[in-house]
Amino acid sequence: MSEINVAVAGQPNSGKSTMFNLLTGARQFIANYPGVTVEKKTGVLKIDEDKCNLVDLPGTYSLSSYSLEETVARDYLLSGQADLVLNIVDASNLERSLNLTLQLLEIGLPVIVVLNMMDVAAKREMKINSEKLSEKLNSPVVKAVAKKGKGKAEIKDMISEVYYNQEKYRRNIAEIIKYSPEMEANIEKISNFFAEKKFEDYKARWLAVRLLSGDEHVQNLVKEVS
Amino acid sequence: METIKLNKLKPGDQGKIVNIALKGASGRRLMDFGFIPGSEFTVVRNAPLIDPVELEIRDNNVSIRHDEAKYIEVVVDE
Repeated sequence: MSEINVAVAGQPNSGKSTMFNLLTGARQFIANYPGVTVEKKTGVLKIDEDKCNLVDLPGTYSLSSYSLEETVARDYLLSGQADLVLNIVDASNLERSLNLTLQLLEIGLPVIVVLNMMDVAAKREMKINSEKLSEKLNSPVVKAVAKKGKGKAEIKDMISEVYYNQEKYRRNIAEIIKYSPEMEANIEKISNFFAEKKFEDYKARWLAVRLLSGDEHVQNLVKEVS
Repeated sequence: METIKLNKLKPGDQGKIVNIALKGASGRRLMDFGFIPGSEFTVVRNAPLIDPVELEIRDNNVSIRHDEAKYIEVVVDE
């Protein structure tokens, strides 16, 4: 029996909490993060013999550190406590949602993309090629309608599959998200610098990308260390 | 092509985002909502005196303040 820690992340109104409640049933409780007012909920999901701890993170549009929600979500994801990320995506708002998905992938944890609200997408006559999306993101994609209880079994199976085959799902992030040649040259230079410094849990490439995007949190971190 | 500030547009105007001269949290949030150079939009409503300006951009309806709209440079389709 293993304990699997899963972070449930997604944009506001993507149905994260609905999905969280569907997966964990009535067994969730509310916990406070020390020092901040934003709550994270944790709940337990049994998958065969394994105990799966789900952490419902606050909804964020991206993972910069401009708001408290973003800081809480991102600190948890960077803390190394989560084994994998369940990224709940509003399928009817796919383009906007994938912005966060890419940022989650960039952190380096295995990500399962859950296309939620597939019924709404279908009503808007949107056709989503989930196989192609899965191939592009190099991550599993599961279709679901949390409100109607659809997708639970598929998500459970996928959590086990990813947890027990992590090597397969942990790919070189630079292969998935490639910036322009000039950007890549800069990212490489800065990552090499970080790689030598050993920033514990922070991945060199992630730090370089965030630094180039003008992230104050990372700027301060670098100042503290250097 | 001549660029114009987004807060000057009228309902029904369509165009493309050219530049967002906003830094920090507001700039980041606008990017999160699809305000990226090249994005096409339609002005849904524009309150003449007070906020907001409502746009349809990348399949989303987004309302922003005049104070933010005036930093967004766009080109309008003829």
